[in-house]
Amino acid sequence: MRTPSRGARATVLVLALLACNDGLHPVPAPTTCPQHFTGICGHVTFAGAIPDSTDAVYIVAYHTFPRSRDSLFTFQPGIAFLQALPLDSAATFYSVGLPTGRYEWVVAVWKKLGTLTTASADSLLREAGFYRDPADTTLPGVVNVYTQGTDSIDFVIDFAHMHPPCRYYNPPCP
Amino acid sequence: MRRALALLALACVPSVANGQATGVVFGTVRDSAGTAVGFAIIQGGKREVSSDSSGRYRIQLPAGPVHLTVSRIGFLRQTQDASVPAGDSLQLDFRFAGGIPIEMQPVITTAAKRSQLLDQAVTSVAIVTDSDIARRAVNTIDEAVDKAPGVQILSGQINIRGSSGFVEGVGSRVLLLVDGVPMNQGDRGGIDWDLVPVDQVERVEIVKGAGSTLYGSSALGGVVNLITRALPLGFHGRVRTTAGYYANPPSDLWRFRDFTGGEGGLDVAASFGTPTFRGAFMGGDRHSNGYVQQGGGDHWHVLGKGEWHAADRTLIRLAGAWADADYQVPGTWCTRGSCDDGGQAYQPFRVDTTNNLGAHTRSAKGYLTGIVERTISDAASWQARGSWLRTNFTDFQPSGNDGAIANTFGVELRGVVRPAPDQIATVGGEAALSDVTGNIFGVHTQGEYAAYGESERRFGLDRLTIGARMDLLTIDGGSITAVVSPRAGLLVPAGEGTWRLSAGRGFRAPSLAERYVTTTAFGIPVVPNPALRPEEAWSFEVGHARPFGARAHGDAALFWTQGRLLIEPTITINPLTRNPQIQFRNLQRARLIGLDVALQATPFTERLKTTAAYTFLYARELAHDSIPEQSLPFRPRHHLTLSADYTLGHVGAGVDFRYSSRMDRVAIYETDPRIAAKVLDLRAQYGRGPLAAHLLVANALNYIYTVVPRTLEPVRTVTLTLVYSY
Repeated sequence: MRTPSRGARATVLVLALLACNDGLHPVPAPTTCPQHFTGICGHVTFAGAIPDSTDAVYIVAYHTFPRSRDSLFTFQPGIAFLQALPLDSAATFYSVGLPTGRYEWVVAVWKKLGTLTTASADSLLREAGFYRDPADTTLPGVVNVYTQGTDSIDFVIDFAHMHPPCRYYNPPCP
Repeated sequence: MRRALALLALACVPSVANGQATGVVFGTVRDSAGTAVGFAIIQGGKREVSSDSSGRYRIQLPAGPVHLTVSRIGFLRQTQDASVPAGDSLQLDFRFAGGIPIEMQPVITTAAKRSQLLDQAVTSVAIVTDSDIARRAVNTIDEAVDKAPGVQILSGQINIRGSSGFVEGVGSRVLLLVDGVPMNQGDRGGIDWDLVPVDQVERVEIVKGAGSTLYGSSALGGVVNLITRALPLGFHGRVRTTAGYYANPPSDLWRFRDFTGGEGGLDVAASFGTPTFRGAFMGGDRHSNGYVQQGGGDHWHVLGKGEWHAADRTLIRLAGAWADADYQVPGTWCTRGSCDDGGQAYQPFRVDTTNNLGAHTRSAKGYLTGIVERTISDAASWQARGSWLRTNFTDFQPSGNDGAIANTFGVELRGVVRPAPDQIATVGGEAALSDVTGNIFGVHTQGEYAAYGESERRFGLDRLTIGARMDLLTIDGGSITAVVSPRAGLLVPAGEGTWRLSAGRGFRAPSLAERYVTTTAFGIPVVPNPALRPEEAWSFEVGHARPFGARAHGDAALFWTQGRLLIEPTITINPLTRNPQIQFRNLQRARLIGLDVALQATPFTERLKTTAAYTFLYARELAHDSIPEQSLPFRPRHHLTLSADYTLGHVGAGVDFRYSSRMDRVAIYETDPRIAAKVLDLRAQYGRGPLAAHLLVANALNYIYTVVPRTLEPVRTVTLTLVYSY
């Protein structure tokens, strides 16, 4: 059996070293859910002028439609995992990691600058748009999340027509 | 030049005996490979001196013929006859011919709070020497500790066998000591790695596993002891300067500035020692542009030490240091839409301009320590210590500034006694009082009062160690909590190796920050939890260390840590107000099982030294409340470090490789891409006489990666370090 030449050994060493260089690389902004992702993805289109008092806009999902203040904070993902939407363009792609399951309401929440409490929720939070049932666009669309990402959860965020959470309570606020 | 220095020294040193003509003999002591040999004893007539760490010596002798001998443990004694010229100097270099240095067991002081040989410690101990630190040309001590077996630094937070994970700098499950004095922050409980200038660290001892039996709180996962340089006799000076640059992003799509970032620093140290008094002072400065946008910083530090050998067996030591840093805080990197993203999903070199633009931190910290050591007899000694640690930070953020000032005052009285030839015991009492004043922590105090004892008894060649510590913790002068931390260990020599077994309990008192933080995160109020209880863990270890022939030494340990009441930030609904809130709570139960293997070898030739270390970690968060069992976040399952160093005369070259597997789970941005860390460092060095040069190419392949999501780890950095020692 021939002993590998010095050059061959050096080549193997260089190849082994290069194999280590598979770190992060530039990735174009996605237009569909990434692989191995569990959650929802889609495009949101912005309408109306962004208020100066805007703190952030988040997309969250509720397993059950929140009909009271107590259920207002039962959304997914957890508060620590919320990601603000970029607001510098007329439309943007988003992805929100969610546990698998059925969600009755996928909603964009506008948050005003200030510290949030349940008491201040009606003044600091606004529903700014939600995913609608394709068959009846007056109703929220139900979304099922499986182990792979659910695409095309597209909707409009309209800063000119935002509503306080209590609008959806039972009974709603005046 | 040498001759001139010798003549200068001759002018400064008082004559041996008035009226008697003298001369100076100076030179260097080296081994057969040409490596400088420090601490060699040079004897001529009735006088003797020792060589410094660069192998250099200088001895003043009566003029005339003299018989000089040079000796050091592990080498054959060398002799040489010479004639000392009156009023002049003579250079005599020594070389230990043909001898191979005997590998002496390192002496450690941390594992049992007393001196002992490394293979007599009942728990695993890793050592980072000043040679390791110098070869790696690092700027902060955490960069050197990161290479130790079983240790990983995650964005500045140390993990020993997966102890801490990543908890945003609040609370460390590892205790930092500086020359044996506890130095974890009084408010946040974390570690400031820049507290001690890296150039002043002579050795780092890392004790793995629960160490609360001797050290109390925070020693839940281990103890790191930074041992600063000893003060030698005579006048010595040292200048260390570094300069380097950071690689630009590997893709133009990630470019964030139109220049190449750099870093640089300068340290100057001087010491003077007589048999009675010794002192040293050093100061230094460092600047960095950072390798990411808004990643730069400035740092300066000073350190002083003094020793007074007040009597034959009494030593008084004083030490102090102060470090001040102003560094930019890049925060999490930019994702789509949160900066000029160039159409990319993420921009790892750019800052998220919606949250972090302009954020920076001013951080100052320092300590004063005073220690009295007295050896009463060969069978008894005691040490008394007082210390003061102060930290002061201000986070300047777009949303408002946060800051706090904290002090920790500590005292300790410790004794080491040998009641019988086959028994040795360490006993002591310790107290620490921490206070904090800040807009997010309020004004609070925390006291820790403890008594401890540990005894080692020999049965033939076997050694049995048993000890315990009782800690009383108080908050704001009330609410006493008692914690007992026992430990037992057994050492059993078998054949060429030694088996060790240990079981110990560790704990960590909640930091004042975890108890009392009041701030806002994600728009949600973070509320205090004064009722937090100490975290607890039991650590078990079975280890074996043995040589493999004359050229290799191995150490393997199986470990099991069972933790409970681990503190985590939790989002809850306030039961009274129904408001969402974030609060630190005792929640987690965890189990960490693993294997730690380290091998050192000098294969083929004495000039080549290699090390390999591998840690396997199976870390589980056990089911609690409604949370099912799952992986503990921020614990890689596999961690491998390899290194090789080849030395030929005055030059040397080395390579380090670090692999850390993809995290099974992270607690933030869980959907972000996660990859393994594979980092290759290349090193070269040249040393001749008082001058040494070290070239480091860290992350030579410019591997772009993260260990904490959205926080870019260092890119390729080329650093040249020059050291001049006198």
